[in-house]
Amino acid sequence: MIKGTEIIDFHGHVGRWDVFEMNDDPDEIIRAMDAGGIDRSCLFNIFHPDGVTGNDLTARFVANHPDRFIGFAYVSPAFPESLRNELERAIDRLGFSAIKIYPPYGPWPMDAACWDPIYAFADERRLAVISHTGTEETCTPDLVDRIAPRFPNANFVIGHAGNAEPSRTQAIVAAQRNANVYLETCSTFREPGVVERLVNEAGADRVLFGSDVPLMDPRSQLGKIITADISDDAKKRILGENAKRLLKR
Amino acid sequence: MSLSFSATVPVIDANVGIGHRHNRRYPYDSVDGLLQEMDRHGVNRALVYHVQGELISPTQGNEQLASWIDGNERRLIPQHVAGSDDVSLAQLLDLRAAGTLRCVRLHNTSGCRLPFARWLYNDLLTWLSDEGIPLWVSLADTPPEEVVDTLSSYPDLPTVLVGAHYVHASMLRPMLKALPKATLELSRYENIRSIEKLVGTFGPDRFLYGSFFPRYAMGPMLFYLHRLELADGDLEQICSGNTEKILRLTRD
Repeated sequence: MIKGTEIIDFHGHVGRWDVFEMNDDPDEIIRAMDAGGIDRSCLFNIFHPDGVTGNDLTARFVANHPDRFIGFAYVSPAFPESLRNELERAIDRLGFSAIKIYPPYGPWPMDAACWDPIYAFADERRLAVISHTGTEETCTPDLVDRIAPRFPNANFVIGHAGNAEPSRTQAIVAAQRNANVYLETCSTFREPGVVERLVNEAGADRVLFGSDVPLMDPRSQLGKIITADISDDAKKRILGENAKRLLKR
Repeated sequence: MSLSFSATVPVIDANVGIGHRHNRRYPYDSVDGLLQEMDRHGVNRALVYHVQGELISPTQGNEQLASWIDGNERRLIPQHVAGSDDVSLAQLLDLRAAGTLRCVRLHNTSGCRLPFARWLYNDLLTWLSDEGIPLWVSLADTPPEEVVDTLSSYPDLPTVLVGAHYVHASMLRPMLKALPKATLELSRYENIRSIEKLVGTFGPDRFLYGSFFPRYAMGPMLFYLHRLELADGDLEQICSGNTEKILRLTRD
């Protein structure tokens, strides 16, 4: 909580990635969150393409600290036969609040037809879908610009806001052109003026704080927002108010 | 907790580029913008190098550095960039003789398609080691295995390793053990709670604050350092004390 604003981190992981010393130790995550004033973190597990394995791990993780963590469902077109059922299970039975996709793991651009069942489900349930984006050809943000108008009841969150150019500009354009597109801020690309540009060109209502915890420490990513040259009102929206709106179903 | 931030301890940013790169315009057309940005975050002083030195010409970058610093010597500390050739070393020798060289930064070896190898940089490294002049090396611009293999041959040379990233996570502890005279600059190292753990293992004197401006914004890591769970005095040591010691600076 910072100045009466609940701080919600919209981008975090469950799982280990040993070579990068990423470890989903809940005590470590909560300790870093507390030191930064972060109230809740949205988490997903992207390491199991069947969906079920990772979603169950996420559910157990969240169940131990339901006041601090929010679960997101992960599914992949690698398992098209079970995709819809797993989304229903994750949202209806596990209590997850949104959907995460990670197109770099497969050969399918995120506007390929194999992703449509995910977007259609999100549209039907009015859910948010957060995708990794960047300069990888399967997930450049211009693809979101093609998807978003087809599923107007879903919200699309451009993870990392495109990361680097030219994808960052594509992300901003996608948000400008589509009312259901949001930009999430976590990235190791931290040039001066990035957050200011997202706010000035897409609007403070369309930017979401994320950290990539526990791959990265949420405090450094929080610092991007706190030290940005933007108004306190914009910071409050980015740090929590926009996320609360998206997660309210 | 507040929605705004300014440093609460004296700060020296030990990793700031200045000037326009050949392919990228600097955020400011004069040094005033940089000074205002430092003021905004509570940064007292900055160690600055000219970014032309990274890839195009260390010698010309070093020549242009003075014009950005003139009149602001109390805020900006010059850092000169070294290349691999004799012309570069001769310039550094002259600067040393003139009393204006305090530390040296290695150019971007990967970008210049040069290996950071002893057979190529021995004259430079031997001279720096003999003179006790500290060397900054970017892990973003020189492969870590070359850094360790080469610097291990100069055990007395004080070094500052800048730009470690989460992709270096598995290498950092072995690197700091292999290079006991190395200090780690923290501009890009944001693995969860890793700085606290590294400080616990190696002590606070092996780490210092730098922003890597303008590749990176100046404020986020400084904010992060202020939110670390550190012992009393460690924050100030990391934010300025260790840099003062390495550069043999005196506080105003």
